[in-house]
Formats: sequence, structure tokens, C-alpha cells
Amino acid sequence: METLKLSALPEQSKQQPINHGRFEAYVDNGGTVMAVAGKDYCVIAGDTRMSDGGYGIQTRHYTKVFQLTNKCVLATSGMQADTIALQKRLKLMLETYQKEHGKPMSTPAIAQFLSNTLYYKRFFPYYTFNLVAGVDEKGEGWIWTYDAVGSHERVKYSSQGSGNQLVIPLLDNQVAKRNQQIIQGNGDVSCDQVVSFVKDAITSAGERDIYTGDFADIVVVDKDGVRWEKFELKLD
Amino acid sequence: MSFEHINFPVFGQVDYFGKQSQQQLQPQQQYTPSHGGKKNTLDPIVTGTSIIAIKYDKGVVMGSDMLLSYGSLARFNSIQRMTKFGGNTIIGASGEYSDFQSITTTLNELVTDDHCMDDGSRLSPEEIWNYLARILYNQRNKGNPLWNTCVVIGYQGGKSFLGKVDLVGTCFKEDIVTCGYGSHIALPLLRKARDDNPNMNLEQAKKLIEDCLRVLFYRDARSSKKIQIAVAGEQGIDISGPIELETYNWNSGEAAVKNFSQV
Amino acid sequence: MINIDFDSLEQPTLFDSLASDVKYLDKPHFDLPPNSNPGDFLRETFAHPNAPKPLEFAHGTTTLAFVYSGGIVVAVDSKSTQGPYVASRSVKKVIEITPTLLGTMAGGAADCSFWERELGRRCRLYELRNKELISVAAASKILANIVYSYKGYGLSMGTMITGWDKTGPQLYYVDNDGTRLHGQRFSCGSGSTYAYGVLDSGFKWEMNDEEAYELGRRAVYHATHRDSYSGGAINVYHVQRNGWKKISSDDCFELYKKYYNIAPINKPTN
Repeated sequence: METLKLSALPEQSKQQPINHGRFEAYVDNGGTVMAVAGKDYCVIAGDTRMSDGGYGIQTRHYTKVFQLTNKCVLATSGMQADTIALQKRLKLMLETYQKEHGKPMSTPAIAQFLSNTLYYKRFFPYYTFNLVAGVDEKGEGWIWTYDAVGSHERVKYSSQGSGNQLVIPLLDNQVAKRNQQIIQGNGDVSCDQVVSFVKDAITSAGERDIYTGDFADIVVVDKDGVRWEKFELKLD
Repeated sequence: MSFEHINFPVFGQVDYFGKQSQQQLQPQQQYTPSHGGKKNTLDPIVTGTSIIAIKYDKGVVMGSDMLLSYGSLARFNSIQRMTKFGGNTIIGASGEYSDFQSITTTLNELVTDDHCMDDGSRLSPEEIWNYLARILYNQRNKGNPLWNTCVVIGYQGGKSFLGKVDLVGTCFKEDIVTCGYGSHIALPLLRKARDDNPNMNLEQAKKLIEDCLRVLFYRDARSSKKIQIAVAGEQGIDISGPIELETYNWNSGEAAVKNFSQV
Repeated sequence: MINIDFDSLEQPTLFDSLASDVKYLDKPHFDLPPNSNPGDFLRETFAHPNAPKPLEFAHGTTTLAFVYSGGIVVAVDSKSTQGPYVASRSVKKVIEITPTLLGTMAGGAADCSFWERELGRRCRLYELRNKELISVAAASKILANIVYSYKGYGLSMGTMITGWDKTGPQLYYVDNDGTRLHGQRFSCGSGSTYAYGVLDSGFKWEMNDEEAYELGRRAVYHATHRDSYSGGAINVYHVQRNGWKKISSDDCFELYKKYYNIAPINKPTN
């Protein structure tokens, strides 16, 4: 990785014609992640398919959800190699923080930290689409949703990845109760209800998105920690 | 080699007027003997084709042919494309062969260092695989990729290992790994065989790999029928000598030629 | 005498270069793309025949700010788009830099929020060093200098920096070229032309606060009505002598009903 000083442009690029040959620096390995936050919990789902950038499937067992602390997880879709690099980097920094401060980093701090980490690669971005989900110091569940270079927003539900555009309208309608002719139910739903709803949502994404399928990791984060569950999707 | 000279854009110390850059003019790339003379692998030149590997009940089998192509020319026909690292890991590579030789050099340094520690601990196949993934990812970040897809197999402490790394650093572990044309031709055959017989033994796995390489030889124009099979299992790691594949008996065509005159 | 070039023998191995790369891993710095001009890198990369779907950064906007007798009104929409996809309808495009300074977000969302956050840090440091609040002129110049030093790197931001310092209410426009302008009325983003139309025709120096808020709100509303990349809710802020204050946040659709007083067919209930 080339790292350069601030003021001048790399001179090399002016002197040499740019020839990347057949090399592609980015591959999109696909996949969908989504998260819904409740009053004192978060539910995160991510499929485990990893495509080869085209129609091929490299593996059916690549988990997209990564535990950062016992109150916070990171769900990432996009390029797998960049995802691994990002996860390793965050893990290293969070471990350093833990040792320096004697406590794990809080979830809102992690959210801002991820934003900065992504922005430090503003000129050579990670091809990753991230969600941070967890409970804050007050025990309230929150989701942070990102673009590739670190623009972020704190929300109650979100999704990222190849099936994003299929899942989001469903979440808007069923979680935020937006655009309903007759609004049903109130905002308070139990964790179990959300888990089953999230399973339905990721199954639906798998039905209509070729890059989503095989299995899903369903992760629940609350004050007691992080619980994992495996859920079957279609293998086609 | 030192990276001291690099001025990072550190916040709060913005070099608005380029003072620092005037003080020290730096070469853009460290390892460029004369500027513009260095070329990166942006196209593979001498290439090997698919590598295929599968886990059996007590280990892993990997197979590859021994051909190196130069474009469409079958350039070298007896080159081993799999290398042992330490006592329990074998890596096979498709893609640019010179880049694989460079990887071999680097990993041998690593394994030698580990050996010299003499602490009774040995790098596991998974550790070597992970290290290899970091090397490939770092090189892609520099725009100077090592144009290989590597398959790592190994056996240590009663556990078998099978993983794959490609030129951008994508890495994963699986029970069946293929690359190149193998992903299109051999993978379905391997998956079916494994579904039919999940606990295949070494002999069955070897035969399966051989069969797949035979099919690859029939359809992949850049492959040959001279193959090698590597095994990582209870008995240690081993790469076989060259094996000439038994292929379809083309002599039967003589009958067709004879009959042709009668038509 | 013949000089033989042994440079190639001195070249470090891959192993050496990897080991030394790790050294600066924990220092904050920007990674630059290899063999490429940072400003052109993404365009070139995704122009490749087999490249994946181009990265879309969050974008879009109508923002405006104007000075009048009672201070400064800042009005913005809240829609964020990635290409044609609406990434969010609830973005905070007024960035609260310090308790006395406001910035706005147009162009790349990450560029604006990152650098205005950094600006906030530097303004706070100025305050601690000099025991007084930074002037709006100085603050906007810090930002302009930063973005100018990254000129050609592909940053995208158009922002208004406003505040009330000892010289009174001040309004500056700063964009990614490094342009920094002092003025009375600015609008920025894809819907800015529509907003300017309403703002310029309705503006007068002497207004009471409610009139000023309504002018800003109406200008952004009409921009959201005609510009697809703008929408969501309209947030209005007021910069006063002792700092800024958030005035209102209204959904565009509610304003539509209010301004035109007609119910659409198949009216949604919320």
C-alpha cells in the first residue's frame, strides 16, 4: 500500500501512462446483511454465501457477522478480502483500547471509530458495506449504517449489501410502520418476534437475490452478550 | 529497508505550503532501481492451470497437472506446481509461476525462521495460509499483485486443513477447493462424489482427484495428462512423483477409419 | 573503469517490505491508491470491463443559508442518495461544529461530516489556546485550507460555515475547489437553483424571525418539489447572538399539504 504525503500528487502518475492490465483491484463477493434494533436488544442477520464476483459460489459458509465486543457486532458485505482486512484492523485497535483503558470501547465510540477507519481509506476505499449493531451504555439497542467511505447514521433498522434494495422497503413498512394504509400494532415488539421477522426478511432476500442464500447467521445482542444462531436458506 | 521518509498526512500538521516536500525529495517507490524500470505483474505470462483438492476422512488430497503454458503454447511440461512448507503444509498454485516462486521464497523464509526458533512449536497449515493471504492482500494494495490462486492443504495435530487464497486476498476454508477451469468442470464432480460418499478414504479420494484431472485434461486446453497428487494426512505430507494419466483409448478410432471406406 | 550496477542485488525481499509496512499501521494516515492519481482512481478502476458495481457514496442535497436583520437562517433537506437509490430520508445535514458554529452538508456526505468534525476539533483547540472563540472567518479559512491541500484528490463538498462572532453574524461558503466566499445569501447542492429562485424573490433585510424561518423553509421545500435528489424533512436552524438554535423539522409531504391545501388521491395516512 502506497502512503504519500499530503500536498503533492503522486508524480509517477503524471509520467507514466496508467496501465492496470487485466488486474482488477476490487471484487464484489455479494451477500446481504440486515439489523433491527429494539428497546434493549439488536437482531442482526447475514447470509453466508460468498460469490466469486460473477455467478459462481466460492463457499457457502462465510460468516459476514463479526463480534467486536460483547455488546457490539459488525456486519459487512461487499469484498471479502477488504472485509477481513477491516475486521483485523478493528480487532487490533479495540484490543489496544481495552489494554490502554482497562475497559472495552463503548458501542457509540466504535461506531465513530469505524467511520474514521473507513475515511482513512477515502482515496483507496474498502469495498465494504457495513452495519454496526449493539447496545449503548444505557442498554438501548441501536444500529449504525455506513457508506463505503464512512458516512454514517444512527438508526433503528437498516440493511446493506446486494439484497439491500429488496429488504429496506420491507423494514420501512414493517419496522417503522411507514407507508401503511392502516397502521397495525404498536412499536413495542419482543425480541423473539423480531428474530422471526428478520428470518423471514433474509429468506425473502435470498429468494430474489442471486448473491444471497445458503445459510444465515442470526445474531442477538443484548445486555447479556451476543447469541448466535444458524438458519437455513435455500442453496440454489 | 526503512519507511521513515514517508510523510503521512497527519491531522493538525497539514503541510500547506509543501515545506517538507521541498526539504526532502523522495523516490515514489522504494525498490525501483531506475525510475520507471519496474514493472508489476498486470498480466500473467507463464501460467499453470487448475488445482483441485478435497478432504477425505483423515486428511486432504490435492492434485494438479505439471504443465506451464506461455499463452497458448505448452511451454514447460514437467514442472511441479506444489511445494512443501515445513513438515505439515503443502501449497499448490495456479496462475503466474514466477509469482509462485516469489511466494515460495517468502514462505520459506518464514518457515526457516520458525524452525530456527527451535521452540518445539511449528507453524500450523492454517497459520501459513493466513500469512499467505496477508501477503497477497498487501501486494494487491500496492497495485503489484502476485497473480496466483493458491490452495493450501495440511495436517497437524489430528486436524486436516484445506484453504484457498486468490490474488486480491480473498481467503476461505472449505471441504472442496478448486480454481480456474476446475471450478467449472471438477467442482460439480467433486461435490457429487462427496455427497454420495461423505467419508471417503484415501484411495477413493486419490482416485476421485485423478478422475477429475482426467476430465479436466479432456476439456481444458491448457492442461496436460502428466499430474501429481499431494496428500496431507496421518502419515505426514507427501507429493507423488509424476503420474501419466490413463486416458481414453484413441486406438478404437481405427475401427472408425476402417469402416469409413465402407460407407 | 566500468561501473557495474549492483542495485538489483540490494533490493529487499518481499519479506522485508512486508515487515516494515506493519510499523505505521496504528498511525492515522490516508492510504493512497497504487499507480494512480487519487482523483481518477475510482473512475478508472470501475471503468474496467469486469469491475464490480461502482461504489456509490452518499450524496445529494439542497441547503441554504442567508443573513437578515435577526441573524442567520440555515435551512436544509434530509435526503441522501447513492445514485438513484435513496440511502436515507433522515440525514442531519446541518452539522453542529461547535456550540456557536454551524456547517452544512452538500456533496459527499462522508467528506463533509469528516472534515467538519475535524474543523470542530481544531476550533476547540483554538479556543483552549487563545481563550476566546474562533471567528467564523478563521474557522472557514481552516476548512478552505484543508480542502485546498487535498485539491485533485477527488473530495466533493459544498458547505456554508455560519456563526455569530464579535463582528456579528457571518456567513461563508467553502467548496472542494478551495473557494471561500463571504456573502449574504448562499445555496448549495443539486436543488440550489430552485431554492435561489424562491429565496432571492422573497428576501428582504428587515424580517421578523418567523418570516425568515418561513422563507428558508419555503425555499428548500420548493427545491425538494422539483429536484428528485432532495427531499425528506426540512430542518431549519437560527444562528443567534449566543449560539445557534434548532427551529423546526417538517416533513416535505406535510408542507405540500400546507402550501397547496389539496389532498392527493390515495392519501397515505402518515
